[in-house]
Amino acid sequence: MRTEIKHRWVYEQSPNEIWEYLTQSELIALWLMPNNFQAVVGYEFEFHTNPIPSLELDGIFYCKVLEIVPLKKLSYSWKGGPGNGIITLDTLVEWTLEKQDNGTILNLKHSGFKVENYSILTGMIDGWLKNIQKMLNQLNKNKNENTNS
Amino acid sequence: MRTPTLDAFQVIADPSRRKILHLLTQDSYNINTLAENFEMSRPAVSKHIKVLQTAGFISIQERGRERYCVLSHEGFNEINNWLNHFDKFWNNKLKNLETVLRTKNTN
Repeated sequence: MRTEIKHRWVYEQSPNEIWEYLTQSELIALWLMPNNFQAVVGYEFEFHTNPIPSLELDGIFYCKVLEIVPLKKLSYSWKGGPGNGIITLDTLVEWTLEKQDNGTILNLKHSGFKVENYSILTGMIDGWLKNIQKMLNQLNKNKNENTNS
Repeated sequence: MRTPTLDAFQVIADPSRRKILHLLTQDSYNINTLAENFEMSRPAVSKHIKVLQTAGFISIQERGRERYCVLSHEGFNEINNWLNHFDKFWNNKLKNLETVLRTKNTN
């Protein structure tokens, strides 16, 4: 089963310019999301976007800078969940830059997709509870119909 | 009369079976490895696994001589939803970056 996402993009600009857009908060916001990023290893920051109910994500991504190799590599953790501090998505984002004659190759790897905190299980239990509720409703309905007739 | 839905509820009401499901959220295991996590006998663990399988919570995959327990599809769909979402998400964002960089250079 696939557990990671990879993208490889070529830009005309130099690694220096690309690096600025990966590591300066107000420049990141121009293309990615509003954030309070700081290029300091260990720094904890957040990205904010709209909630994504279909994925049970509240739209806040909790991140921590893990590695900085200026102009070459940047990585941060990327966590999210339905809210109330519950984390169901616990992943890793890694950027690497390769200098080209007339531009930069930017590689993105977003990895570690697996189910944390038993979200599978809660999902399944919720599903079953709903089914049970439906069945009970149906049984009550049948009972009422029988007593009415 | 049989009430399969209530049976399923009873399936997850049992702490040992919940523990098996918890373990399987982390990885797939064969029955022996699963049994090592419990004080009860291997046949007892097997019985629980059988119950979970019948209720559709897990499936058994044969790999060589070993039989592995894996969680049933619902959970994996969730992971795929995430992957598909973020795959598109990053593609859009990297395209944004291209546009932003181009605009900046023409200014």
